[in-house]
Amino acid sequence: MSREAMWARVRMAWDMLAGTRREVAAGRKGDAPPPPVSGEAPALSVAGFQDEAMPWLDAVYRFSLRLTEGDGDAAQDLTQETFLRAHRSWHTFTRGTNAKSWLFTICRNTYLHDRARVGNQRERPLADLDPGTEALVTRSAFGKPAADPEREFFDRLIDDQVVRAIDDLPDEFREVLVLSDLGDLKYAEIAQVLDIPVGTAKSRLFRARRLLQDRLRDFAVEAGYIDSSSSRGRIQG
Amino acid sequence: MIRCQDAMKRLWEFLDGELPQAEESAVREHLDVCSKCFPEYDFQRTYLAYVRKLGERDEAPPELRRRLFQMLLVQDGSGEGH
Repeated sequence: MSREAMWARVRMAWDMLAGTRREVAAGRKGDAPPPPVSGEAPALSVAGFQDEAMPWLDAVYRFSLRLTEGDGDAAQDLTQETFLRAHRSWHTFTRGTNAKSWLFTICRNTYLHDRARVGNQRERPLADLDPGTEALVTRSAFGKPAADPEREFFDRLIDDQVVRAIDDLPDEFREVLVLSDLGDLKYAEIAQVLDIPVGTAKSRLFRARRLLQDRLRDFAVEAGYIDSSSSRGRIQG
Repeated sequence: MIRCQDAMKRLWEFLDGELPQAEESAVREHLDVCSKCFPEYDFQRTYLAYVRKLGERDEAPPELRRRLFQMLLVQDGSGEGH
């Protein structure tokens, strides 16, 4: 093993064992990944993989967690398989392009492939939505302003309720919402990951947000946090 | 100035930073002065900030990092990925 390769491994080990997080802070869509630890890494080497792929470990794990509806063990397995496949296919990745989208694509494809293999029928496509849910999804009322302060709605929700509401979304809505609102991908990147037109990604995302907000509102009304007349979040699509 | 309906139709694209500059300016200008639309904008902005913050709470467990590191080393040593 060359001296350079040895140091690349040492650096990778240090990063991973220390749990180094070099992801960009959330809330800024389209940010480039953080700069490499060292200068120009050898092309198609483990060091290159480390610098461009490994910073997204947490993001891929989060995506896996939501794809598997909060199953931590399944999410770990999916994340692990994603990175192993990505490493094996690293020679097909165009350096300098969006590694995060690339990894999300592998992650989703792995998830779909595994699910098909085990015959998991959890997917609830849009066509199978019951009329009541479909009506919620397509509702676009634009009501009067609520009296409650905006943040109170979210302050009073419990995080786990929100996570559960996300996990309970139909697959096609959950994945687009997670890619955008938790994964910080732009519309074009989401379209690339899901292999759908940008317009479809956008409209699906907006419907997913409306659906999630309706469900959160139902939680809040049931718990007595807000009045059922509150109309926040029902913007026109 | 654009109408409320047009501003609301573009609200999520505005918040996602996906609008062309001219449209973004038009929406921003509308929100600056419209007392009807601003609360909805504030609600949606809060929603996005909340969900994004929620997403940050889950980190890859240390045991996953260790296991993955070991497996990548084995795979790298076998020449795969090169």
